[in-house]
Amino acid sequence: MGRRRRCRVGPEDATRALPEAIAALSRTLPVGPSPEIFRRAKFDCPEAAPALWRLLFRVLSPGPADGASASLSLEAQARWVKSALHSQGYPSRALAQLPDNGSQGSRQLLLALAWLLARGPLLEQLLAQGRVRLGDEMPVCECEALANPGPPAPGVEEVSGVDVRHLQWLMGKLRFRWRNLMASQQEQCALLGQIHLYTRGCHSNRSLGHLSVTETELLRDPEGGRQLLQRLESENARLEAALEWRRRQLVFWRWMDTVLGACPPEATFLPRIHEPGARALEPVARELHALREQLRGAVEARRAAGAAGAGDRRPEWSAARRALRQAVGQDLAALQRAWERGGGLTQPHGPHRLVRMEAGAPRGPGLRAPEVIEALRTQEAHLEAVLRRLQGQCRRELARLARALPGLIWIPPPGR
Amino acid sequence: MLPAGCSRRLVAEVQNALDSCAERQRQLERSLRVSRRLLQAWEPTETPAPEPTPRPETNEEAQFSACTPSPQDLKELELLTQALEKAARVRKHISKAGGDKAPSLKSEAIATSPASRTSAPAQSSRRAGSHTSQTKPPRSIRQTRFPAKNLPEHRLLSAVDATCKRGGAQAVKPDPGLRDQQTVPSAAAQAPEAFMLKDKGTLLQLPVAFRKAASRNSRLWAQLSSAQTGDSADAAASARTQFLQKMQTASGWPSASEVEAEVGRLQKACSLLRLRMEEELVADPEDWAQEQRCLLTLEGLQALVGQCLHRLSELRTASVEQPEGSRPGGSPPRGGGAEPVRSPQPLLYSSTRELQTLAALRLRVAMLDQQIHLEKVLMAELLPLVSQPAALGPSWPALCRAVHSLLCEGGERFLTVLRGDEPDD
Repeated sequence: MGRRRRCRVGPEDATRALPEAIAALSRTLPVGPSPEIFRRAKFDCPEAAPALWRLLFRVLSPGPADGASASLSLEAQARWVKSALHSQGYPSRALAQLPDNGSQGSRQLLLALAWLLARGPLLEQLLAQGRVRLGDEMPVCECEALANPGPPAPGVEEVSGVDVRHLQWLMGKLRFRWRNLMASQQEQCALLGQIHLYTRGCHSNRSLGHLSVTETELLRDPEGGRQLLQRLESENARLEAALEWRRRQLVFWRWMDTVLGACPPEATFLPRIHEPGARALEPVARELHALREQLRGAVEARRAAGAAGAGDRRPEWSAARRALRQAVGQDLAALQRAWERGGGLTQPHGPHRLVRMEAGAPRGPGLRAPEVIEALRTQEAHLEAVLRRLQGQCRRELARLARALPGLIWIPPPGR
Repeated sequence: MLPAGCSRRLVAEVQNALDSCAERQRQLERSLRVSRRLLQAWEPTETPAPEPTPRPETNEEAQFSACTPSPQDLKELELLTQALEKAARVRKHISKAGGDKAPSLKSEAIATSPASRTSAPAQSSRRAGSHTSQTKPPRSIRQTRFPAKNLPEHRLLSAVDATCKRGGAQAVKPDPGLRDQQTVPSAAAQAPEAFMLKDKGTLLQLPVAFRKAASRNSRLWAQLSSAQTGDSADAAASARTQFLQKMQTASGWPSASEVEAEVGRLQKACSLLRLRMEEELVADPEDWAQEQRCLLTLEGLQALVGQCLHRLSELRTASVEQPEGSRPGGSPPRGGGAEPVRSPQPLLYSSTRELQTLAALRLRVAMLDQQIHLEKVLMAELLPLVSQPAALGPSWPALCRAVHSLLCEGGERFLTVLRGDEPDD
């Protein structure tokens, strides 16, 4: 009897379910405000605003929360949040009009949070960002490194004009840093190999077999181990809250519809015409144009060569030509798919936990190093070819310029 | 001298590259520190003893007197070591079973050594509690070095000093009179040896609490990343899309991050198209069919390039209409890895050499990526400068030489420029 009543979602059930859902959400979020804040935000109470600004800041910043970004004033955080939402394409302009001091707009902020939650797996991504890493991880692709470019360089506005030698010096410095990096990396791999070897057979999980550096470290330093355990347990709590949120979220979305309804309709807002954000498009545009020219030349050459003896063959070969056209069409469609879709998952992706294993035993899941090495070698070869092509292009261009000026003799550098 | 705008952009780009390199180096150094420390002898950490113990003193005698064992301790010690021996025997047969008798690595490490019968100071101290304090890692038992019998007394003394130095009343408090116990001398003698991962690494065992938390963690992650099915999931998904639609006022405008994503796709398209074109250009068609195929492919590629350019111009007009938001300090995370997030999969390697090759290749690919990017940037900025020799005047050859080295030789080699003027006489 009681069950039947509970199945019908009456208003009493809704009032119970909603705070629980919001509580689950709040436990999952990194600096989750209390359900009370959420309720106040629906009614646009100003005291709920600062907490929500801070939450949005934390949610939108890339990378782990560090002291530097946390110490930003509320105003700075509010400004940052506004521009971050804008660049993500947040559709409502009302938020952009909120004052910077972070004192107002809790309802708008609540809507923004809901928008972010609805768009994608925000919670999962947040959890993954701050994930406790227990294994020795090595990424097999560069995606993560590209997505988190690290702290931005301070503005170099003060540079007036530099000598090209300064540039040469900087490039040399870069080369040196890479060499250093490679050497350190080799050392680290050697050490890892040793540690894995020495701790073989220790792990409770048989498929892993040996301890990772983190795990060994926690045995060496129990204080650190206690902290690691704490972090692990709090992550577990957040994961459980996330799972609970998943189960309960429906009632939250219904509630958000009411919040949206409570908003006054937005006034239209003329977009400001700014300098086009077309800077990023320039390099690609240049490349595509260059490619088009090359293709045009190649096609014309082939056509001219082929036109010579084509006339008499037309009748028999038209069927063959149709078949060819079809085959080529499919070929090119597959090519197009390779960039249209989120980039083929043909390549191994993401961080992997290093596991040392005897060469003989073929174990089940997971990538094998030789395969990854192969994939990386092909990638390396491809990139080297691209670089050589670019360098060749420059060489030809500079040679052309040099020829234009007689009276100078250019002697290329010795040896290759 | 390069013009101001150009300089600023170039320096910013190279500085960016330098910073990302530095960041990687920092992370590596951190890991290196930890790893190196693990492979050295593990220092015992000072844990607070239940009763105040003397800090390490140089006075030998004072130490010795402070470490006088009580008969009760020694008796407990003996009982314990017998229990541990038994555990060691059992453990030898059952590889890695449970181990609750000796829940941490200390006792394991010490117990398995036949010569050890030792105090297992940490373990016994945990159990006994009274006079004993905790020591951290087990003393490594080098059985080859210290034979269990006939230890000279001075060695015993020094061993005692060493253990006492390590901060606290030890369970190993050998009274030279109690020589009949084999255990004590060997333990004491071996006590100054610190734990070496190389020797005793295979005896380590993770604490139970940690194991539980870790397995719960991986289970929860698996649950979280598993595909959600069922009515409630569908209902929630449709509620979300409805909400999004209601929020979306007018804009079909692409946001900055979408533009970025699109540019990335176009870039990828460009390189794939180029690759394909080069393949076709290199191929030597032998018969008419192959020729036709080649031609058709090239035409098809041309059409695709046209499509890309069209898309590009669409993007251009769209970004004119939209106000350019100021980029925040770090670019916000893209709409995302559509890939499900989960615990990392294992990557199996079989030798250190293999691992090193893998890591080196990965870095090399990253470096090449960066080099190509910088090459394009440099080309875009420097080639226009150099193309106007007249504007630069007498410094043009020098600039040209520098640019050639940067662009064509990766900054590593230089060409020589000679003036071909007639010598004056």
